[in-house]
Amino acid sequence: MYIIKNALRCIGRSVGRNVLIGIIVLVIAVSSCIGLSIRQASVNARKETLEGLSITASLSYDRQALMQDFGGMNRGENGQPPEKNNGEFDRDSFKDMMGEMESLSLEEYETYASASTVKDFYYTLTAYLNGTDDFQAVSNSLSDTENTTQTENQNAGFPMGQGGMGKMGGGMAMNTGDFTLIGYSSDTAMTDFANGSAAIVEGAVFAEGTSDFDCIISEELATYNELCVGDEITLVNPFKEDEEYNLNVVGVYEKASEAGDMSSQFGFTMSDPANEIYLSYNALQSIADSSLGVSNEDNTSALRSSLNATYTFADVDAYEAFCEEVYTLGLDDNYTVSSSDISAFEQSLIPLETLSTMAFYFLLVILIIGAVILVVLNIFNIRERKYEIGVLTAMGMKKGKVALQFVTEIFLVTICAVILGIVIGGVSAVPVTNALLENQTTAQSQQSNRIAENFGRENSMGEMMAPPNMDNSGKQQVPQGGFMNRMPDMQSMTEYVTQINSAMNLTVVFQMLLIAVCLTLVSGAVSMLFVMRYEPLRILSNRD
Amino acid sequence: MALLSLNCISFSYGRTPVLKDISMDFEQGKIYCIVGKSGAGKTTLLSILSGLAVPDSGVILYNGKDIKDIDKYEYRSKYIGVIFQSFNLITKFTALENVVLSMDIAGVKGSQRDKKAKALELLKSVGLDEDEANRRVLKLSGGQQQRVAIARALSYDAQIILADEPTGNLDEETQNEIMEIFCTLARQGKCVILVSHSKRVADSCDECLTLSKIK
Ligand SMILES: Nc1ncnc2c1ncn2[C@@H]1O[C@H](COP(=O)(O)OP(=O)(O)OP(=O)(O)O)[C@@H](O)[C@H]1O
Ligand SMILES: [Mg+2]
Repeated sequence: MYIIKNALRCIGRSVGRNVLIGIIVLVIAVSSCIGLSIRQASVNARKETLEGLSITASLSYDRQALMQDFGGMNRGENGQPPEKNNGEFDRDSFKDMMGEMESLSLEEYETYASASTVKDFYYTLTAYLNGTDDFQAVSNSLSDTENTTQTENQNAGFPMGQGGMGKMGGGMAMNTGDFTLIGYSSDTAMTDFANGSAAIVEGAVFAEGTSDFDCIISEELATYNELCVGDEITLVNPFKEDEEYNLNVVGVYEKASEAGDMSSQFGFTMSDPANEIYLSYNALQSIADSSLGVSNEDNTSALRSSLNATYTFADVDAYEAFCEEVYTLGLDDNYTVSSSDISAFEQSLIPLETLSTMAFYFLLVILIIGAVILVVLNIFNIRERKYEIGVLTAMGMKKGKVALQFVTEIFLVTICAVILGIVIGGVSAVPVTNALLENQTTAQSQQSNRIAENFGRENSMGEMMAPPNMDNSGKQQVPQGGFMNRMPDMQSMTEYVTQINSAMNLTVVFQMLLIAVCLTLVSGAVSMLFVMRYEPLRILSNRD
Repeated sequence: MALLSLNCISFSYGRTPVLKDISMDFEQGKIYCIVGKSGAGKTTLLSILSGLAVPDSGVILYNGKDIKDIDKYEYRSKYIGVIFQSFNLITKFTALENVVLSMDIAGVKGSQRDKKAKALELLKSVGLDEDEANRRVLKLSGGQQQRVAIARALSYDAQIILADEPTGNLDEETQNEIMEIFCTLARQGKCVILVSHSKRVADSCDECLTLSKIK
């Protein structure tokens, strides 16, 4: 085809102009390539993470809505935000509201577990008991002296770390007790053991579903009280000192120290993971039942326990289907389905996805500006070559072919620049993305911190540990529930996706080629328009 | 039958009439000369003959067919060879490339090498050596450019050669050589239509068409 030969020759004869066009296209190509790679990385990260994610969800009362109702009600009365109500938070009416919120029963949980989308279902029961002189909680000396404040502080809604306890309606009851007893419905419920963050170092875990009063205790607790497997421990009801329960220690576990350590520094004895005692659900339930049996009339001395159920799903779709299905199974509208895995996952993707959105707009702007520059350059180019067009058409070359030759020239230059752009972009996409991502992650963390500050909390741990100011505690308490629900991993610092390994793939290359074709078409269309408009006689007889 | 015939051709640039009722038959194997004062409309008539300009009235028949019914690109690229007054060469290409390009456009069969060889031969016959043939047109003298234009018009074996003052920029000796080429072509059965101010050229032609300026 002589058209291609001619096109190549024409490119060769005006190197300067074509290099200029090439450089512009190269800039567009490199930035587009990085932009597309960022988008691709975001898509990849989402897909990969989702594939490896085992999704668990729990049901919780929509506390935020409750808080709003409550706040609105109070404001209606005196036109003041609740916490400024004579400098005192109306704790009693708040507790009344909380009291109305019934926790779901095991039967209800089981009903919802029958949803077709649920893969697995397990539950835990949590209760707080005190130790005896022979069996004491691990604590640091600092916190010992402030036993009362601790309890208050605990009510302020600090996440209690493990086993999804943070999600139980904490804060509504005055949960006192040195030890946290968690009863598991099955082995799968013991997620820390399943995922390896906890392991038995001595003895064995109690039998699954057993009703025996077998328990496992932490290594620290065992050392502290000089206990070993086979020993018996005695716990008492914190509301009724003479109500005692005996448990057999069948195992000692060790937990990888993580975020949990922080809460021990805060000085809440029972939220120290070392003071967690694990047993089977049936065993703990029978303790709770018997406590109820021996309690006084209005049940105020009965052991407080809270049930927490977890549903697992095969994939996100199943989870999403469940979110709808569960209401048809009779769940009250005031309850919401939430998945800490998904919110953590979404949270971890925020920087990358923000970057991806920014990359998209950046890409648009680059492409529009690039296309405009190319069109303008091309108009100049084609006007300059008017005479050439006249000669070619006068010699009998069809206008279509002339236009094709011009488009071919643009295409060849564009494609070379784009291929070079893909190479440069491909090499630089990962480091550039990671650098941008680092900035974005920092910005994101700072923003989270600012949000934390907005909630009246300084980011420094020292401030958090300060004894709560009673005037302030109501204020802290109110937003805490909602806040923590939305940011489940705040305490342990969200693990953002901060690194991508590869962003280039065939999709990006394909998209780049599409961009090359589009740029060619846009600037080529201008050439065609001009070529079609030119009449050889006019050009040849009106030479400037 | 005449190869090309003009029937009552009239042409005007906007409101300025240039040609009025021109009728003429051009036959194979003959050399025609169009003469007239500068601005009489000789170049305009050649543009009409080459299909670049469309007459306001009148018909042009090529082989008995109205050229309106012939694909003008095919007509221009295959049936006629035009030597423009202002050469109309692609200046960034070499002489050789210009000639080969017109062969490509005309769809001349053969490999690139054959076409190049033929082009070189043609350029040599109009007095350009290989060095000049491979030089960009921009770097050739006016006379050399004119000869490239002649070589280009002859390259694809067109039936009709239209030449607008093909010897205008040439010395007498070269003029004679070029005229010799045209005579040879006419003897081969081609129809050569020249525009010339030179009396000598006009005299060596078979027939003359005189144009005069329309007041
Ligand atoms: N594109 C045009 N627009 C308007 N008028 C034109 C145009 N081209 C030529 N003319 C006019 O038409 C007339 C004929 O021009 P043409 O070029 O045919 O003359 P010519 O006989 O070839 O002259 P010369 O011997 O100088 O080449 C002239 O008066 C010229 O001014
Ligand atoms: Mg003229």
